[in-house]
Amino acid sequence: MTRNISRRDALKVLGAGSGLLLVHCGPIKPPQGEKEKSDYDWEKHSYAYVVDTTRCIGCCACMRACRAENDVPPGVFRTWVERYEVDEAGEVRVDAATHDDFVFGTTDTKVSKAFFVPKLCNHCKKSVCNQVCPVGAAYRTKDGVVLVDHDRCIGCGYCVQACPYGSRFISPRTHMAEKCTLCYHRITRGEKPACVASCPKGARIFGDLRDPQSEISVILKQQRFRVLKPEMGTQPNCYYLGLDREVV
Amino acid sequence: MDYVFPNELNVTWTVMIVLYPYITGLVAGAFIVSSLYHVFGRHELEPVARFSLVSAFVFLLFAPLPLLMHLGHPERALSIMVTPNFSSAMAGFGFIYNTYLVLVVLEVWFVMRGQFIARAKGTGPIAFACRAILLFNLDESAETRRVDHKIATFLAGLGIPLACLLHGYVGFLFGSLKANPWWSTALMFVIFIFSAIVSGISVLIFHTFVVAWINGWEVEEKCIRALGKYLWGFMIIAVSLELLEILSIAYKQTEEWEVLERLISEKLFISYVVLQFGLFSLVPFVFLAITALVPLGKRLTHALIWLASVMLLMQVLLMRWNVVIGGQLLSKSMRGFTSYFPGLFEREGLVVAAIIFTAPFLILWGFNRVVPLFPHAVSKVRTGMN
Amino acid sequence: MSKYRHAVSVFVVLGVVVIAAAIARNLAIPDTFGEFGHYRGAAPAQAREFPLRHVGADVCADCHDKQKSLHDKDAHSRVPCETCHGPGAEHVKAEGDAPMRRPTAKSDCLVCHQRLAARPGSFPQIDADVHFAFVGVKDPSTPCVSCHDPHEPLYMDRDVRTARLHPAIHRCRDCHQGTMAEGTVKPERHPVTFECNYCHPAIVADFAKRTHAHVACTTCHLYFRESEYAGRIIRDADPRFCLLCHRAAPFRSANAPKTIDWPSHRDKVASGPTDAKKGCVDCHRDRIHTVGTPVRGAVKGAQL
Repeated sequence: MTRNISRRDALKVLGAGSGLLLVHCGPIKPPQGEKEKSDYDWEKHSYAYVVDTTRCIGCCACMRACRAENDVPPGVFRTWVERYEVDEAGEVRVDAATHDDFVFGTTDTKVSKAFFVPKLCNHCKKSVCNQVCPVGAAYRTKDGVVLVDHDRCIGCGYCVQACPYGSRFISPRTHMAEKCTLCYHRITRGEKPACVASCPKGARIFGDLRDPQSEISVILKQQRFRVLKPEMGTQPNCYYLGLDREVV
Repeated sequence: MDYVFPNELNVTWTVMIVLYPYITGLVAGAFIVSSLYHVFGRHELEPVARFSLVSAFVFLLFAPLPLLMHLGHPERALSIMVTPNFSSAMAGFGFIYNTYLVLVVLEVWFVMRGQFIARAKGTGPIAFACRAILLFNLDESAETRRVDHKIATFLAGLGIPLACLLHGYVGFLFGSLKANPWWSTALMFVIFIFSAIVSGISVLIFHTFVVAWINGWEVEEKCIRALGKYLWGFMIIAVSLELLEILSIAYKQTEEWEVLERLISEKLFISYVVLQFGLFSLVPFVFLAITALVPLGKRLTHALIWLASVMLLMQVLLMRWNVVIGGQLLSKSMRGFTSYFPGLFEREGLVVAAIIFTAPFLILWGFNRVVPLFPHAVSKVRTGMN
Repeated sequence: MSKYRHAVSVFVVLGVVVIAAAIARNLAIPDTFGEFGHYRGAAPAQAREFPLRHVGADVCADCHDKQKSLHDKDAHSRVPCETCHGPGAEHVKAEGDAPMRRPTAKSDCLVCHQRLAARPGSFPQIDADVHFAFVGVKDPSTPCVSCHDPHEPLYMDRDVRTARLHPAIHRCRDCHQGTMAEGTVKPERHPVTFECNYCHPAIVADFAKRTHAHVACTTCHLYFRESEYAGRIIRDADPRFCLLCHRAAPFRSANAPKTIDWPSHRDKVASGPTDAKKGCVDCHRDRIHTVGTPVRGAVKGAQL
C-alpha cells in the first residue's frame, strides 16, 4: 500500500516539523545574569515631571535647549509651548511659537485671561504608543521613561497616530518615530533634562519620586494637579499645576 | 481660531495608507465572490469564479507595496514577523497576510490545475515554468481532479474568515485608536469588511465588462444579474453601517462633536457628504434597485450595473480616503485642521499610487495570456441583435 | 499514482518553507530581546549614550566666576547661563575656543521681556516704545544693553536671594492680564491687597510732593515675588541704578529726565574719599522723599 504509506510519511514529516516550530516559537532567552556594564540601576528611580503653568512666561528657552541638546530637526518638536488667550467674549485663541526661532509675538486680542502651557511627552504609565508598536520598538523603562528603540523602528507611524497628545512624530531625518526622551542620557547621569535646566522661571520641574524629599514628591503630595486627557486612560506621568479647562 | 499641535501639520498616513485597505478590500471582495461559487454553490457565478479568484491573488500580491512605500525603514519590514508585538493590531499583518497568501496560492493552484496542465504540455520556457509550478506532476485523472475540487472547496471555505480577518484587522486598527475621535468606533471593523466586499464585487463587474469589451466577448447575463443583486445587498449593508456610525456620533454629540461637525461640514463636505453618501451611494443604490427589481433589457441592465460598479468603486475609495485622511486632518487639540495633498512624484505620491493600482490589471492580463481566466467565453454574435 | 500525491507534494513544499521561515525568524530575533519586556533589552543602555550638550552654570563658573558672581546676586540670578548663551559642551571641550552665542540685540532681550498678555503680570515686561518714552530714549533701535548689563541688569546693591522679605505687593496686571485703563478704581468687593500707603503713609505723602511723584514706588524699590504671599524687596542705592534713567547719552530724547555724566559729577561734588563712595540718594533725598530715607553722612552743599 505504497500510496497510504507515502501519505503517512508526509504527515509524519509535517508533524515533526510542527513540533520543531512549537519549540522554537519563543524568543531565544539571553544568558542569565548578563547586566549592562554601568553603575546606573534603573530599579532605584522613578522619574516624574511637573509643569507649573502659572510660572511659564513663554520665552521658549526650553524649546531651544531641547533642539540643541537632542539635534531635533526643524519642523518637528519634542516639546513646545502653547499660548491660550481668552478674550472678553469668551472666545479662545490658541497658538504655538513654532516659527522664527520660537518667539511669541504680540496679538491684538482683547484679553481677559491668557496663559502659556508647555507641552511634552507625558511618558504615560499605560502608554498607547507602546501598545500599538507592531515590532516592539516602543517601550517604557523601569524608571518611568517611554523611549523608542532606533534599531528596530520601521517608521510605520502607528504610534504617532495613537498618541492622544501629539507628542510623537516621524523624524524627517531618520524616518523613524521620535519624541521627548526626558533627556534620558542626562537624567541617568544625575542631570536635569535640558528643558528643565534652561527654564528661567522654574515652570518645568523634574525629579525622582523615589526620593520623598525631592521637590517633585513634595509638590505632588501637597498641591492640586491635573493631567491632560485623563479620560483616555493613559495615566500620564506628567502633571500640570494651574491647568485651565481650555487646555486639551 | 484653528490650532493644530505642532507635530500634526504633516499627515503621517498618506494616500498609500488609503490605497492599502482599498486593495485588500478588493482582494476580500473578489475572494468572497469566488467562494460564493466554490463553497455555497452559486452556479450562476461560474463564469467569473476563476477570474475572481485570480484577481484576488494578483491584488493580494500588490497589497504590501503601498505599505513598503510608506514605511520609514522598509528594509526592516520583516521585523513585524520576527518580533511581533501582538497587542498591536498591525502586528497581525505579517502572519495574516502570509497565511492568506499561502491559502490563495494553494487555492489558485488546485482550482486552475487543469489549465496549467494544458499549458504545461507544450514546449518552451512558459510550458516549463508551468510544469515547475505543478511540481512536475501532470496527473489529471478524474480522481485527482475530484481531490483538487475537494481541497479547493475546503480552502475556499477556510479563506472566507481569513479574508475577513485580512481586511477587518485594518478596520480594527483604526476603530481601536481611542486618541482619534473620527476613527474610534467599534463599528469600524464591520464597516471595513462590508465595504471591502462591495469594492471587490464592483471591481469584478467593472473588469469583466472591460475584458469582454476588449476581446469582443459576450457577458453572461445571469452571472452579471446575480452579481448585481449581491452588490446591491452588500452595499445596502455597508452604507447602512457607515450611516449608522455617523448618525450615532451626531446624535450623542459628546465633546468632540463640535470639531467633528466642522470636519464634516468644512474639510470633508465634498468628499464625504456630497460624493461618498450623496452621489456614489444614492445613485448606485437606485440603479441596482432598478436592475434587481425591474425587468429591463440586457443592454440597459448591463449599463446600469456597470455604472453602479464604477460609482461604488469610487465610493469605497472615498470612504477609505475620508477615514484615513479625514482622521488626520483633524487635530488632537480638537481645535483645528491641517491640510493634505498627496504630491505627484514623491515616494508616497499620486503617480506611485496610480502605478500600484494599475499594475495588478496588467499582471492579470499577463496571467490570462499564460492560463485563460475566461475559458468559456463566447464571442459576441455580430448580427447586431441583443 | 496516488490521487493525493500532487496535493501531498504541495503541502510538503509548504511545510518545508514554513519550517525554514520559522528557523530564520528565530535566528533573526536580537539577543537581548524580551529581557525586560517586549523590546530589545540593550536599547535603554543605548539610549543613555548620547552626548550631553548643556553643561550647567556650575561648569561655566569654573572659568567665568566674575560674571557668575555678579549674575547670581542680580535680577537674572535664576536665568541659567546656557538659556541665553546656548549649549556649552563644545565650548568647554575646546577650552574656550569655540565661541558661544552673545545675544546683545534688542530682540534678544524682548524674547522674554516683551509685554505679552499671556505673561504673568508680576513678570517684568515692557512695550519698548512705552519704556523708551518713560526713560527718555529717542532712538527705537537702541539695544537694551546700552543701559542694562545682562549679568547685572539692575545693578543691585545687595544679593537678591538674601534681600529683605516683604508682604506681597500686587499690581493690577498681576491678575488683570487684559489692558487695565490707568486710574481704574477698585470696586468694593475687590480682593484685599497691600497698598504702600497702608504701612508707609508718611513716605507716600511726602513722595507725592516731589519731582519723582509720577514714578511708581516699585520702579525703584525692586520687588521680587517669591511666593503668593511674600517676596524680597531692595532699595537699590547703587548709583548705576539711578543712572539707568539719568545717565547722559547720545540716544537720550529731548524730554528725558535730567541727565548727568558720572563719574565727573561724582568727582565734582565729592570732597573726600568717603564722599566718593556715596550714592545719589545720599545727596538728593529731596528729589524722592526725605521722610524715611536714612542719611549716611551729608555732603557739603547737599540739599537735605
